[in-house]
Amino acid sequence: MEVIQKYNEDELVLLLQGQDQKAFAYLYDNYAPALNGIIFRLVEDKALSEDILQEVFVKIWNNFSSYDRTKGRLFTWMMNLTRNLTIDTLRSKGYKKQSKISGDENTVNNLQDANSAIDKFDSMGIRKQLANLKPDQRIVIDLAYFNGLTQEEIAKQIGIPLGTVKTRMRTAILELRKILQYS
Amino acid sequence: METKDIISSGLLEQYAAGLTSEKETVQVAQWVAQYPDVAAELAEITTSIEAYAQAQSIIPAPNVKEKIFARINEANNGKIIQAYSPVSTANTKGMVAPMWRVAAAASVILLVGSIALNVVTYNKYNNTDKELIAARNTLNTFEESNKLMEADMNVVQSRYSVPVALKGLEAAPEANAKIFWMQNTGEVFIDPSNLPEAPAGKRYQLWGIVDGKPVDGGMILTSKQGDRYRIQKMKTFGKAEAFAVTLEDEKGNPTPKGPMFVMGKM
Repeated sequence: MEVIQKYNEDELVLLLQGQDQKAFAYLYDNYAPALNGIIFRLVEDKALSEDILQEVFVKIWNNFSSYDRTKGRLFTWMMNLTRNLTIDTLRSKGYKKQSKISGDENTVNNLQDANSAIDKFDSMGIRKQLANLKPDQRIVIDLAYFNGLTQEEIAKQIGIPLGTVKTRMRTAILELRKILQYS
Repeated sequence: METKDIISSGLLEQYAAGLTSEKETVQVAQWVAQYPDVAAELAEITTSIEAYAQAQSIIPAPNVKEKIFARINEANNGKIIQAYSPVSTANTKGMVAPMWRVAAAASVILLVGSIALNVVTYNKYNNTDKELIAARNTLNTFEESNKLMEADMNVVQSRYSVPVALKGLEAAPEANAKIFWMQNTGEVFIDPSNLPEAPAGKRYQLWGIVDGKPVDGGMILTSKQGDRYRIQKMKTFGKAEAFAVTLEDEKGNPTPKGPMFVMGKM
């Protein structure tokens, strides 16, 4: 009989440092969909995003020793690794044509397209709640956390002053907190 | 820089996205270690982003997980298969063997391979198990010391505890000790952390001065005898004018004979 194990983050990290496959399966079950969502948003291709997801998890398994608990949450580390790997893949020769990160003004539009594509998969209530987030707040979060743009780059991208990017990002995260608390 | 300014600088959001420069990363890590407010804010940002990403999950096809596990296991098993390949070439080369001999040879190779794999897997399982046990033990030790610490804190923080400072006397001017006398129960606790180590064969004894006469308050453990310094429960006094600690024989004395180290009045 399969026993469903639950781990807290500390246990999970310890077990993964010891290359425990059960813990790794748990990690996959809990985080693969979210990471896949991040990849899909950048590549807009189901098969390609699953290929990259595969690479991401193999990399997480092989490089787990480089995760430093003191420097942040596990998810933050995985999210950054995922985004960087996706961007590297897109920048590499094979995917140059499909690149959505070329830095032209289409990026924002592409991103909105990606959002509408993702909405087809919507199954959670929180997603509906996220509609309460204003698009201009949402865009700064998406560009920073999923596209990996710095605040300066975002300012250039959407043509607003750096100070505005900072305040908008802050209010967006505060708004997000509120939504998550009440959902 | 004030924490308010750090929080509104926008750097924490950049840091959570892994987009800060090397210099900024060091700076933020320092702030996080130094200011609990900043650490709490960063935790809020990262949990919000995590929940945001989780809310936009796309469930991947079921075979993706299988492929990943096949790949991480392939990386492990590849070595073993390679190690046994010379055996297989030596057996089959230059000899036309009847089918059953080939089959037998193949099954032996498979068996050897499988045993090797079992040994490797078992060792790995054992190691992981050991690490897990070690981790649990560390956790238990921490939990235990945490409990002891909590017991100490309960004494100190109790609304009924009356602290009495015992000051160092001629024998050891640097020494001091603290008494916590519980108004409601008359229980007496002592924190002996700042008493010098008792010499071999000797131990500190607590005295309560009641109506001008010393009354035995019990023997005190210092680190070598007691393993660790802790707030200790002594004998109960209904009332006492003062407390003192003397150095006595190991078993204690009915009346103080040794030098007095610290003393304090209620």
